[in-house]
Formats: sequence, structure tokens, C-alpha cells
Amino acid sequence: MLLKSTARDPAFRGRLNAAIIVLLVLWPLLQTAEVKPGALFDAGNLTVIGNFLAAFLPPETGSEFLGYLGKATLETLAIATAGLALAFLLAVPMGYLVSGAGREHPTLNPLSRSLLTILRGIPELVWALVLVRVFGLGPAAGVLALGLTYGGMLAKVYAEILESVDATPARALRQNGASRPLAMLYGLLPQASKELASYTVYRWECAIRASVVMGFVGAGGLGQLMDQAMKMLNGGEAATILFVFMLLVFAADGFSGWLRRALDTPPAHRSSPFGWRSGGFMLALLLSVSASFHMLDIGFGALFSLESATSISQFVASFFPPDLSAEWLAKVAKGIWETLAISIVGTLLAAVLGLLLALPKPRAPFTLLLNTLRSVPELVWATITVLAVGLGPFAGVLALALHTAGVLGRLYGEAFANTPPTAARALRQAGAPAVVVFLYGTLPGAAPQLVAYTLYRWEMNIRMAAILGFVGAGGLGQHLYFELSLFHYAQASTVIIAMLALSIAVDQVSAGLRRWMQ
Amino acid sequence: MISSNLRRLALKGALACAFAVTVALPALAENAVLRVSAIPDEAPTELQRKFAPLGKYLEAQTGMKVIFTPVTDYAAVVESLATKKIDLAWLGGFTFVQAKIRTNGTAIPIAQREEDAKFTSKFITADPAIKSLSDLKGKTFAFGSPSSTSGSLMPRFFLQQAGINPEKDFKNVAFSGAHDATVAFVAAGKVEAGVLNASVWDKLVETRKVDTAKVRVFATTPPYFDYNWTVRGDLDPALIKKLTDAFLKLDPANPEHKEILALQRAAKFIPTQKENYDGIEKAAYSAGLLK
Repeated sequence: MLLKSTARDPAFRGRLNAAIIVLLVLWPLLQTAEVKPGALFDAGNLTVIGNFLAAFLPPETGSEFLGYLGKATLETLAIATAGLALAFLLAVPMGYLVSGAGREHPTLNPLSRSLLTILRGIPELVWALVLVRVFGLGPAAGVLALGLTYGGMLAKVYAEILESVDATPARALRQNGASRPLAMLYGLLPQASKELASYTVYRWECAIRASVVMGFVGAGGLGQLMDQAMKMLNGGEAATILFVFMLLVFAADGFSGWLRRALDTPPAHRSSPFGWRSGGFMLALLLSVSASFHMLDIGFGALFSLESATSISQFVASFFPPDLSAEWLAKVAKGIWETLAISIVGTLLAAVLGLLLALPKPRAPFTLLLNTLRSVPELVWATITVLAVGLGPFAGVLALALHTAGVLGRLYGEAFANTPPTAARALRQAGAPAVVVFLYGTLPGAAPQLVAYTLYRWEMNIRMAAILGFVGAGGLGQHLYFELSLFHYAQASTVIIAMLALSIAVDQVSAGLRRWMQ
Repeated sequence: MISSNLRRLALKGALACAFAVTVALPALAENAVLRVSAIPDEAPTELQRKFAPLGKYLEAQTGMKVIFTPVTDYAAVVESLATKKIDLAWLGGFTFVQAKIRTNGTAIPIAQREEDAKFTSKFITADPAIKSLSDLKGKTFAFGSPSSTSGSLMPRFFLQQAGINPEKDFKNVAFSGAHDATVAFVAAGKVEAGVLNASVWDKLVETRKVDTAKVRVFATTPPYFDYNWTVRGDLDPALIKKLTDAFLKLDPANPEHKEILALQRAAKFIPTQKENYDGIEKAAYSAGLLK
């Protein structure tokens, strides 16, 4: 009723038109993603999911199972830690090569740039799936997959952080004859180190979530147990694993928050470079990284033997040339379209859900809800939503929406908190109702931030949507799983290239949209 | 000052990581270890339980340390055999054919269960309306792993002969990954019908892990050759002989052997040869699973 009056809303007509246009564009996407909310209330589906959730109680607490669980938890932590250590080792030289920082004439290195794009563009799960074949059974594949993808991401972000800080000190050093590494070390790193360290710690937290997902393709850890429990629809085991997993994610979240806050502490005035904190931290880091590698028992020596070099190159060669027959391309194109639809509809649904969850007060219960939503990875949500709405893309949409709503809800909340309150206050004092105050006072100020966050998540979700098919939730993933299982590498290669192209295209569109909005 | 300290922190971190990676490189010891794996046609925990006494027996017979690595991915077992990361593997008929191709014909099947010479798959459903294969059109359907012989290849081949193309005629196809998972899918209603190997089905029925009042068999495939124990071809011939003899020597009259055989669901082990699996290879080509 409120919005119907054009007198009250001068922008009403424009907004209505925009909404209609958006709906028209969305319609085919909704069709492709097979969005049928009715499926949620279908009697058959309700019994399936109801029985599964009912089996969550009591959670499995048998001592044999808890033994497996303990070992898997440690393995997950070790995979994440070792993977990130590897990523760091890759990211430092690559970031250095890629970054325009500290160069007198910013020349962008096209070779290393495209290497980074490839590393990042292929989802870590796909790397893991491929590497499991090369490096055999066990967690080595997971560690390497994390190392490669996260190495690419860290390198890109390191490069950007170094480019974004004030370049004057480095330029001054270079003009006085310092070499580029020295100029970066003394001119740029001091300003950027906090942000660099903070992002690295944040990535470690992400690596824990990702290493769980890796277990789904046999790379060990909690994910492998979870995959089994979910496949066997063993609710009791699934409940215990989910609980332990969420504890782990919350703990990692808390720990990384604490570490990042610790970076704000000013250093003590003393001549020794090592205080108790940095000394202890370094020792702990060293111990945990070496313990991780030790526990996983990765035969890196074997990786560099001539024999494995031959088998790896043979393996890589078998992916070329990709299958470009019209029949297969048509199948892949259908998968691309479906993946795109899942990512867009899932992200939009998450934006709506996130907005709804970001607003109510008091915050505490909603913060807990958001944290819970976001601590469960998309692929795990998908195994559950597949039960709730049946196999197919709609399950994928819901899985993306649930996880992403948790992420976006939190980011939206922060954005609202940071919006200058003056406009809203003025409206409230003029007697406007709460809805109008929000729509005209708070929302316009926060909107650019909200849109930027949403687009950023869309870039992540396209990578996720590409692999949801592993658990039957639509998109390109099922093709890849099927073809790789059968050693049809030429066909798998086409799918991987399609995933890469899709994620690059979405990155470009999203970046373009963000520029256009500014 | 603040940032200079942090810069040191970051540099030290970099050095620490580099050092840790170097220190952590483990040496590979490779003396007298027999590495064994199996295709994960059932839950890995179940596979480990089944293998434990057989592993001990093989240790006693060969004098080597036997290490069993459970996996969740069929193809990983084939690839590990081809890249010599494992020595002995329990393979399905189709995974054996894949292994044979990927090792340029060098993988050697040494023994199979008596039952594997005439193996079948069971089509199951919980839907009263499904009475024959032709009723499956437009339904959701679960195979096991894509690389499973009895859970994917042979059923696909026989479906094709019955005029059903899984990709076109089913509403949705799921790959449960393992035979017992397929039963869980069907029992829970996640899919309307599925197919699994007869041996696992019988075991689940005997141990009452499936409610036969609800889930029933509505079709069975004709018999074909399935599972075997395969070694990689470049293993020491003396060791291959020892392993083969060890399997063939298992005697149901011996109580200790009886336990091993019961866990493997075998009456006894019999010799086998590559040619037994030619039929499966043909079926794989015709079903489009081999190219």
C-alpha cells in the first residue's frame, strides 16, 4: 500500500520498470535452474529429508567412529596448513613477477598473469580430482590442489596489495639506485605487511573449509568421512561430523580473528627483532607446518623422480587435444548454461536471504545463524539439498544460496553499520515510517557496497556451481566426474576449459558491472 | 616502527615456511612392502574390515609387510596400479579392462572368486509401479560408480539392449559411488530405482540391512565375468606365483581360511585369465564407456 502511491515514491515508476526488466531477464535462468519452490514441500521429498534429519539424533558417538573422526580432523588441519604453506611458497615469487609495484614503467607480465588466471580459474576440487590420478591415493593431491589454487589467489592479491599502497617511498629508493627487490622490501612491504599477513591468515581459514570439500574426491580428511556418511544417508554419523566440522571452522575463525587483531598491537620498544609474541608465533608456525607435512607423509621426493615426471607428462598430454566434436560441445554448452543459471539464481536468492538476515535486531541469534550457514561448504549443503528437492540444478541453487546467504548477510550487516546514519536520521525525524527510512535513508548509502559484495560472491559462486554436479546438483560437474572416472581425458579437458572460460568471463562481466556502477 | 616489525614478521614467516617444507621431505623406504588397494564398491570402513584377516594371511604367505590403502574413487585405484603406486588390487571386471589398457596389457589377473565367473546385477526399486525395465522411462535412477562393472557398465549395456538410453530416457541419473549407497538412495526415495551387484545385495538382505518389504528386485541381468585380484605385470614372477598360490590355497575346510573366504564372500578362489574379460571390454565399447 505504502509504495503504491507515486506521491510518496517519486522513483516508483522507474523502479517498477527496472524490476520488470530484471524479471524478464531472469525468467529463462529460473527455467534452466529448474527453480520449483513446490519441490521443497513435496510429500516424497519431505519424508526423505525428514528421515535423514531425524536420523541426526542421536549423533554417532561409537569409540571406533570417534577414532576415525579424530584422525580425519587432524588430517584436515594438516592438509589446510601444508597446502597454504605450499601456496605461500608459490605466491611470493609469482606475486613478485606479476605485480607492477616497484617498477618504474609498470609492465604487466602477460605470461605469469595468465598462469595465475589458470591456477585460480580451475576450482580446487578439479585440481584435486586430477591430481589424485597423478599422485595416487591420499592427501598429497589435496595439499597440491590447495597449494596451486591458493597460490594463484595469494599471488594475485599480494600483487594488488603491493600496487595499492603508496608508491612514493619505493620510487624514491629506486631513483637512488636501489634494485627492485630492495625497493619493495624497504619501500612497500612495511606499509603492506599487515594487510598481506591478514589476508594470508584469512586464506588459511578458507583452506580448512576447502580441504573438507577435497575429501569428496578421495583426498582424505573429514570430507572423505562426510562423503561416506552422506552417501550412506547415515544421519547419526553425518551429524557428528558436521558438528566437529563446524567447531573446527568456528575455532579457525576465532583464531584467525585473534591473529589479525594481534597485528594491530604496536611493537614493544626494544632492540631485539624477536619479542615473545613473534618468537613464539614463529616457533608455532614452524612446528605446525612441519608437523603437517610429517603427518601427511607426502613423498615429495617421488614427485621429482624421472619416472613420475614421465607419467605426469603423459597424463597431461592425454588431455590434448580436447574433444571439440559438435555433439560433445553441445552437451558442454548445455552444462555451461545450466552452471551459469545456478550461479546467478543462487547468488540472487542469497542476496535476498542475506539482506533479510542482516537487518533484524537484536543481532546475536542472527549472527549465529549466519555463521552456521556460512561454515558449511556449498558442496555439503548440496548433499543435503539434493535430498530436500531431489537431484538437479534446483538443489544446486539452494546449496549456493544457503552458504552465500551466510557470507553476504555478515558483509551486508557490516556495510549497513558503516553507512553514515545522517540521511536515515533526518527521515526518521521527519516522521517517516521505518520501511521508508530504510529504503530511502540507509539503503542508497550502502547499495554500492552491497552490489560490490554480491558481484564478488558471484565470481566465487560460478566456480562452485561448476562442481556441484559431483553430488548430483546440476551443472558441468557431473560431466567432469563421469568423464574423468572413465579416463575420457579428451572430453574432461573440454569441460575443464569450459569451466575456466566461464569463470574468466564472469570475472570480466562482474568487474565491468562494478566499474559501471561506480 | 609498527610496520617494520611486521615486515620482519612476514619475512620470518616466509623463511620458516621454506625451512619447514625442506625439513619435512620424508624419505621413502621401500623394502619388502606389498601395497594393496581395492575399488571402493562398498564403504571404505567396510572394505578395511573385510581385508584385515586376508592382509594378515598374505603377510604370513609372502613374508612381506602388507599395507592396505582405502580410497573413495575407482579410477584412482586403476591409475595407482598403472603408476606403480600399488602392487596388488581388487578390481571389478571393467576396472580390470581399464587397468589392462592403461598398463599396455601388462596387468595380470591372478585369481577370482568362484562366484565371479557368473556374476549378475540386480535392478531394485521401492516404487510399486515399476515392474520391468521399460517402466523406468522418465524415472530417476542411480548407478553405483561410473566405473563399476556391476553397478554401471553391464546394467547400462543390458538397458541399452532393452532399448533404454540412460542419458535420454531417465529423468535424472545419479552416481551413488558404491553399491550399498545405491540401496540407501533407493530405500530413502532419493531415486526411484537403481542397480547394484548381486553379491552386495544378497549380503545386505542376509544381514537385514535392507527392508525387503519396501525395496525389491524387479530385474536381474544375464551373467558375466566380474571381480578379480590383479597384480602389476612388472612384479617379481616369484612373488606373483606366491600371491596366486596364496589365494588358490584358501580352503573352506580350514576354519581360519573359512573366515577370510566368508568376508570376501567367496566359496573359494579359482585361477583367472585376461581373456575372461574380453566380453566386458566389448560391452564397454558398445555402451560408449570405452572410446
